[in-house]
Amino acid sequence: MTRLRPLLGSAVLEIVLVVLCLFLAAVAPHFLTAENLLNVLRNVSMQGLIALGMTLVIIAGEIDLSVGSMVAFSGCLTAWLTGALGTPGVGLPAPLAVAAAILVSLAAGFMSGALAGLLRNRFGVPSFISTLALLTALSGAAELITNGFPLTPFPGWYNFIGGGYLLGVPFPVFLFVIAFAGTHVLMNYTAFGRAIYAVGGNAEAARLSAINIHTVRTGVLALTAMLAAASGVMQSSEIMSGTATTAKGWELDVIAAVIIGGTSLAGGVGRVWGTMVGVVFLGVIMNGMTLLNVSEYWQHVVRGGLILLAVLINRMERRGR
Amino acid sequence: MNARRHTLETVALRKEYPGTVALRDVSLKCGGGEIRVLLGKNGAGKSTLVRLLGGAVQPTSGDILVDGNRVRFRSPGEAFREGIVTVHQELSLIPGLTVAENIFLGRLPRRRAGLIDWRTACSMADALLDELGLALDVRVPAGKLGVAQQQMIEIAKAMSHAPSVLMLDEPTSALAQRETDRLFTLLKRLAAKGVVLVYITHRLGEIHTIADAVTVLRNGALVGTIPIGEATPAAIVGMMFGETIGTERPPEPPPSGVPVMDVRGFTGRGAYSDISFTLHQGEILGIAGVLGAGRTELLRGLFGADPHEAGLVTIGGKTVFPSSPSQMKKLGVALAPEDRKAEGLVQILSTRVNINLADFWPPSLHWITTAGRERGVAMNYVRRMDIAVPTVDSAVSDLSGGNQQKVVIAKWLNTGPRVLLLDEPTRGVDIQAKRQVFDIVRGLSGQGISSIVVSSELEELMEVCHRILILKKGKMTGELFPHEATLENLISKCME
Repeated sequence: MTRLRPLLGSAVLEIVLVVLCLFLAAVAPHFLTAENLLNVLRNVSMQGLIALGMTLVIIAGEIDLSVGSMVAFSGCLTAWLTGALGTPGVGLPAPLAVAAAILVSLAAGFMSGALAGLLRNRFGVPSFISTLALLTALSGAAELITNGFPLTPFPGWYNFIGGGYLLGVPFPVFLFVIAFAGTHVLMNYTAFGRAIYAVGGNAEAARLSAINIHTVRTGVLALTAMLAAASGVMQSSEIMSGTATTAKGWELDVIAAVIIGGTSLAGGVGRVWGTMVGVVFLGVIMNGMTLLNVSEYWQHVVRGGLILLAVLINRMERRGR
Repeated sequence: MNARRHTLETVALRKEYPGTVALRDVSLKCGGGEIRVLLGKNGAGKSTLVRLLGGAVQPTSGDILVDGNRVRFRSPGEAFREGIVTVHQELSLIPGLTVAENIFLGRLPRRRAGLIDWRTACSMADALLDELGLALDVRVPAGKLGVAQQQMIEIAKAMSHAPSVLMLDEPTSALAQRETDRLFTLLKRLAAKGVVLVYITHRLGEIHTIADAVTVLRNGALVGTIPIGEATPAAIVGMMFGETIGTERPPEPPPSGVPVMDVRGFTGRGAYSDISFTLHQGEILGIAGVLGAGRTELLRGLFGADPHEAGLVTIGGKTVFPSSPSQMKKLGVALAPEDRKAEGLVQILSTRVNINLADFWPPSLHWITTAGRERGVAMNYVRRMDIAVPTVDSAVSDLSGGNQQKVVIAKWLNTGPRVLLLDEPTRGVDIQAKRQVFDIVRGLSGQGISSIVVSSELEELMEVCHRILILKKGKMTGELFPHEATLENLISKCME
């Protein structure tokens, strides 16, 4: 037992997740089916994609509140560009128009994050403030693009990105898993990733160790905003429209998943794997409650409680050490 | 004003910490009306004495007497109430609050309803500043004032407690000459009122202006008290450093004169100006000077850590204007900063990561790094430099000061430097680790790697350096070769 404790201590969330799954498998017959589990993964993959980036941002000691608005903005921008490029006047074939629209949206996401990084580095504006401003501005920009009505210029096959299946697995899940592998390698096996920990752990020591802290901050913010834009493309594909009111409040869900995964808001501490578990954990809880016919209102209350509980467990673990 | 002369006395005051005696049975007497300067090198027990008198720590044995009455403090608050007030070297004002609020923090006058009576607070603060001869608006935030004025406010705050004993710990280290003069005028006026003034300084030049008598501590024990008339530089140095003047180990003669780094006209933000020197291959160059002479600022400027105004550095065949640590690292310059905990290492990360820290940038150097490779690098230095770690994967914050310093040096050796800038490399490091750090520096010198060492411990510089530059108020005032000079030469060149 004493030898088990450190192991248990370092994998509390994983263990709780397994117990939760066993419990749901027992009480909700439909839970443990391939179809339902894949559905859970698909539900979490769009927010999860952003959560991966957010993990990097929070480890670097920054925050990005604009990701929800970025999802809406990027979906609307993709829709509008697809429509504009595909009109007879410009005359791009549909696949090319879609591809160009997606690329521009991703680039816009990158630029938005880079802007927050620039403001942080050049003028000392905390990312909390600059991304709060972007949250409002991007939401307004999405409304401006769509003029308040959903845009629906997409060809039928576009639905594949957000709603299709490949080898029986929802396509967004592939994108999520690839992004997970990418960020995991970045954080654990590249010097850039190690520099992210150093900057979040002690920016001055990192700077005096000749690490370019400006590039690190700008890099993580730009990457995350770009992942949010990618998530926006997937979202627009799933609902087959560019809608300005989508993804409201996602930033808080995403941050919650990162924190449940054990990343410290103080910076310098956290793992991409933890976020993966946190994201799946939240997905399973929501799915389980839906299967058990728990009212949506209660679902929110439970979710709030979970965030507190997870942070408390993290605190106690750290104090125990 | 009817001056009442206070007195302060200690009787066999002793403070032990596990393993060391910080203060050995010190008995001394200070009378009101005189200004007593307390001298001693780092670790002599000055700050322990001040902390004991101020109630911050409790004595192991011995007594403190104020106005002849035995007192015992369990907290600084109790010392305040007895009228013993300390002005610390670090400013403790809250920048966003007004001068008046800072002075009466925690004891602002109230109206009957319990609301703060701002008008009374401000007029009380005004009266206090008037008495001290300061013309300042008490309604401005303290953060808007210059350092000197803030120091004056600290003293005003201390005076608001109506102290019988006022202790000042290096109050002039941040002040310019004119401001120092004003402070001294103020202190003399206070002394005339019968307040006991205990004044700690590193600037020997000040004591003849301010002191009535000088008390010297060494290794925690009282060496003696002499009236200012007898306090010649030679007498003071003899008391501070003891009879064993002279280095224990004369350094080898300077290595062959191949220049490796050339500094020309280095000037930075009022901290130092027009510094020029040439560092040779394998040379260990010391920079000596009192606190506030600009030593740390100069090292940081050379490393590009802080911006400087003018001056070029030639190294590795390139002449540059240092502007960032990454630029200087590329040229082979490394800095072990003064504040090891806050600036040298990322405390929450492991020894392994910290040793690799300076190698993370630019990332393209090693596109893929692994924990195994990092561990290999770390283990290599841990073995070579005898760093005592539980495992290289445990947090660096668990290590002792000496081992942390070795990790900082290892971090830079990993980048293959030409020049190592070491800022107070032995601060907070035990004797044995100190030796090891210097052995490492000497070993590097043998391999042709040069070092610039800043240290407040002048004996250390005499022991390890081939050559020592003297910095005074930001200017280079001389140089000295330890193999042909004595510690006393160095001390009198630095201080006077």
